[in-house]
Amino acid sequence: MFDNILTILIFFPALAAMLGFVVDKGSIRSYGVSVAAVEFILSLVLWYMYDPNVVGMQFMESVPLIPSFGISYLLGIDAISLFIIILATFFTMIGIASLGETKNIKNMIVTLLFLEMTMVGVFSALDAIVFYVFWELSLVPMLYLIGAWGGPKRIYASIKFFLYTFTGSLIMLVGMLFMAYYYNQATGTWSFSILEWYRLVLPENMQLWLFAAFFMGFAIKVPMFPFHTWLPYAHGQAPTIGSVILAAILLKMGTYAFVRFSLPMFPDASVFFMIPIAVIAIIMIIYTAMVAYAQEDIKQVVAYSSVSHMGVIILGTFALNVEGISGSVFLMIAHGVVSGALFFLVGVIYDRRHTKLMSEFGGLAQVMPRYATIFGIIMMASVGLPLTINFVGEFLSLLGFYKQSHILTLLAGTAIIVGAIYMLTAYKKAFFGEVTKEENKNLPDVNRRELVALIPLVIITVWLGVYPKPVLGPINNSVEAIVSLMHEKAVTQDAKDRIPNPMVAKISTQNGGTH
Amino acid sequence: MEFYLYLALFSPLVGSLIAGLFGASKKTLFTGLITSALIFTSFVSSFMLLLHILGDGEPVHVEMMTWIATGNLYIPFGFIVDQVSVVMMMVVSLVSTVVHVYSIGYMDHDKSFNRFFSYLSAFVFSMMVLVMSDNFLGLFIGWEGVGLCSWLLIGFWYHKESATWAANEAFIMNRIADLAMLIGIFLVYWNTGSLQYHIAFPAFATLDSSTLLMIGIFLFIGAMGKSAQFPLHTWLADAMEGPTPVSALIHAATMVTAGVYLVVRANPLYDLIPDVGYFIASLGAFVAMFAASMALVNRDMKRIIAYSTLSQLGYMFVAAGLGAYWVALFHLMAHAFFKALLFLGAGNVMHAMDDELDPFKMGGLKKSMKWTWIMMTLASVALAGIWPLAGFFSKDLILEAAFVEHHYVLYTILLVTAFMTAFYSFRLVSLIFHGKERHKEYGFHPHEAYKFVLIAMSPLAILAVVAGFLFKGSYIEMVTTLLPATEYHLHSETTFWIMNIGTQLAVGFSIAFAYMKYENAKIDKKVESGFLYKLLINQYYIPYFYEEYLTKPYRELSSVAWKHVDLKVVDATVDMIANIFYETGEKTHVMQDGNLSTMLRWMVAGTALLLVLAVAFTVGYSVLVG
Repeated sequence: MFDNILTILIFFPALAAMLGFVVDKGSIRSYGVSVAAVEFILSLVLWYMYDPNVVGMQFMESVPLIPSFGISYLLGIDAISLFIIILATFFTMIGIASLGETKNIKNMIVTLLFLEMTMVGVFSALDAIVFYVFWELSLVPMLYLIGAWGGPKRIYASIKFFLYTFTGSLIMLVGMLFMAYYYNQATGTWSFSILEWYRLVLPENMQLWLFAAFFMGFAIKVPMFPFHTWLPYAHGQAPTIGSVILAAILLKMGTYAFVRFSLPMFPDASVFFMIPIAVIAIIMIIYTAMVAYAQEDIKQVVAYSSVSHMGVIILGTFALNVEGISGSVFLMIAHGVVSGALFFLVGVIYDRRHTKLMSEFGGLAQVMPRYATIFGIIMMASVGLPLTINFVGEFLSLLGFYKQSHILTLLAGTAIIVGAIYMLTAYKKAFFGEVTKEENKNLPDVNRRELVALIPLVIITVWLGVYPKPVLGPINNSVEAIVSLMHEKAVTQDAKDRIPNPMVAKISTQNGGTH
Repeated sequence: MEFYLYLALFSPLVGSLIAGLFGASKKTLFTGLITSALIFTSFVSSFMLLLHILGDGEPVHVEMMTWIATGNLYIPFGFIVDQVSVVMMMVVSLVSTVVHVYSIGYMDHDKSFNRFFSYLSAFVFSMMVLVMSDNFLGLFIGWEGVGLCSWLLIGFWYHKESATWAANEAFIMNRIADLAMLIGIFLVYWNTGSLQYHIAFPAFATLDSSTLLMIGIFLFIGAMGKSAQFPLHTWLADAMEGPTPVSALIHAATMVTAGVYLVVRANPLYDLIPDVGYFIASLGAFVAMFAASMALVNRDMKRIIAYSTLSQLGYMFVAAGLGAYWVALFHLMAHAFFKALLFLGAGNVMHAMDDELDPFKMGGLKKSMKWTWIMMTLASVALAGIWPLAGFFSKDLILEAAFVEHHYVLYTILLVTAFMTAFYSFRLVSLIFHGKERHKEYGFHPHEAYKFVLIAMSPLAILAVVAGFLFKGSYIEMVTTLLPATEYHLHSETTFWIMNIGTQLAVGFSIAFAYMKYENAKIDKKVESGFLYKLLINQYYIPYFYEEYLTKPYRELSSVAWKHVDLKVVDATVDMIANIFYETGEKTHVMQDGNLSTMLRWMVAGTALLLVLAVAFTVGYSVLVG
């Protein structure tokens, strides 16, 4: 059965979702939780079976779909995809388990399970077309989540979300088709396999155009400045669970795709665009942090903070060395955990008061001490305190980029300042001071259902902050493979210099260390 | 010895977690006792380690486990107890033990008693990590950890707006410095290939001077934040919003000296860049005087002591900057004892006076609070540097070091500051304890603190008296195995005596003057309306400047970024593009209204357009090519 574990992981939730339609309404919740739990355990089995010492893809499956065009159902994972898949199954599980009173709960659970299929699909696809199919399919359940369970402006928000990201994806699709065409020109055969594409050395000019096409799709998904404005609307209108999944997993598709496609396929273009992209990342970090600081609605603070942190991920990715990319992949996980947790936390207070305006709160630390504590821990993780999960990723990302540019890293490093400013201010507004509003005086503290989601997230936040090795180790090996591929493939001398060969670097410092 | 190392490090954490479990519940004396006991355990273990270091001098070095490893980066949770860290451990664990026991009395009536002890012990743990780590990032864990605990404890009474504001200010201002610190760490890594002291320090000697300069400057900016050096100093005075034991432990004895510790620890680096060292010393001298001047006029008991702390930190940086690392560390230790004592005494006074902070409303308290009076006087004498108390030995050494190294300007500044120190210290003592009992007008009923609180304070009182002459010899012998062993002796015996006696007399005179002037707590209206007084009482208008020219613009700019840029430019552009498509569709669909004659007309128009375009292209092409 383990030969097809990826296929099972992808289609088990979809099948279960279809069966879900006939499940009795009273037991749909436990049905959903059990399916998601089985899926999560399966993903843990995947982790258990994954061999971190093997370079390259594991659990590969290949079934030809359209042989004449080289399109096949090609799956496989390395450590970079592995942990995001686990993150996706984990969030689906705790998301369903902590669902509150929801209308049409059956449809909601079915939607979430379909969404799970697309997420696992995106992160395990190694064929560009299969990747694209899952990438686009993921829009549908999310569109439905926002449009059916969202706030008053849900239709505007969901259509904006859909059309905006869809536009970007279409440009990406053109890039993919051209890439396949070029592959055909160069080798005489058709292939959409990413692994085959890796082997192709493209002239620099070609790389630049293709990089730009892929970039549009990825950048809107991340979302990178100035393509980020769909996100505040989507988060503003989405139900809690929608925001959680969106922030924790869906945004990672963009950053993951940079690591999976852009870097190894276009190493020279990556070097060429490194500085402009770093500048965008810095704008994301500082500018959206300022916008976050100006917000009155706590969910918007979290939404913009999420964009700000994505800036650091992008920066780490384009550090183009092992330290930076490992850090950025780790930060993807960290950002998923922390911003997912923050959206859960915002949901807790929204469920109680049906408002997200910070001016409506104040003094919550007195009324809801447990809630305030958990929020405090997650906030400190978001601010990047050492021994929390975020610090490891943020530190490594910035450390990595420092090798490329001192000044830009100094600017990007302001993330730790501006992040503290908006977060602490928001926390102060909501939790400190006297309880002024009558409605807030008797708010119940977090209940058991909410703790089901929050406690594991807090544990992960601290555990991977103190001991990141189980995750960082495998990621490091996969990233080393990518970086050495990039170094080998690079056409220009500049790129060869900018992208260090991890193997050589290792040997030289070992020698340096002993002297 | 490893056992003692782990015990010293982790028992505060255990205490913090235990107290944290009861954090939200009602006061239980148990949490106070167990945390104090565990901190005491940590103290005893530190003492055992000290004996070990004094014995054979072999540092204890452990690597517990890997923390971060990727690429070539390898950072373990590694801890080292050597001559420098053991001094810090002793200071931290001793003062913490005292403060913990003291707090059982001080926080007696507070409903968040348990939470307080949880934070306080967490602080001790972070501080231990800071001083014991064997690499820069481990130090950074402690560095941020103490920052977090400081935030939690300054804002401990979170219902007070001023407290939470001060907490955030402290955290954010420290973060600014932390960025520089991180940059320094990046530089160390990319230039030496490691962040572990035992690899990085020897490698410094091989680097070129401009890189070293950068590393030195960035790390020092990091130190400036924690140690509240100008211009990042404003948070320290505001941090006095926290409970007084916190001020004693964190904002006087331990955390704020972390910057000094960093410079002392990185002495192989700063030895190579004496220019940066000189800058550090100059800034330190400036801060010493600058802070002392603000302490001269302030009317808030705790703020006066806070400025005094700031000033003394300046002294330490002068020593560290001039390469007299062991002197800096010695003053750090002595200062921790008497300054913590001073704060704890102030806490007793506050309790007696229902949290009143203005010493002008006190007076004559020596009758009702005899022991507090004695201890605060002792601490002030030690602070003023009168022989044979601790401050004399440590502070005089700094003056001598400056003199011997021929930095006469620095020496003069420090000397004048020493007089100022004596003056403001005894202004405070005189206002609080001597003269008429002015507090009666305000209806206070002062009472002495609990007996166990006074007993808890007594070790500090004893150390403030004896730490100087008792420990100096063995201390020097111990730390100079690790730190550069420069002796600072004046060549001429006569100069030595003239300097020392002169200083002592002048300081004595300052003290007497302060006593006389403030015994009756007369407020000199003429002085108060003067420009200088206004400047000092407003802290040189620096907080005002920060608020007006940094905080406000940032707030306004943020608001503009959101309301005008993000919504009206970035998002509006997206919507506009979408609208263009939408409107075009709306407008053009009338063309296809199903009316055959209209559609034929459009067809003709379209064909004509295409023909024109074809002709234009052909002609244009031939013109261009031909």
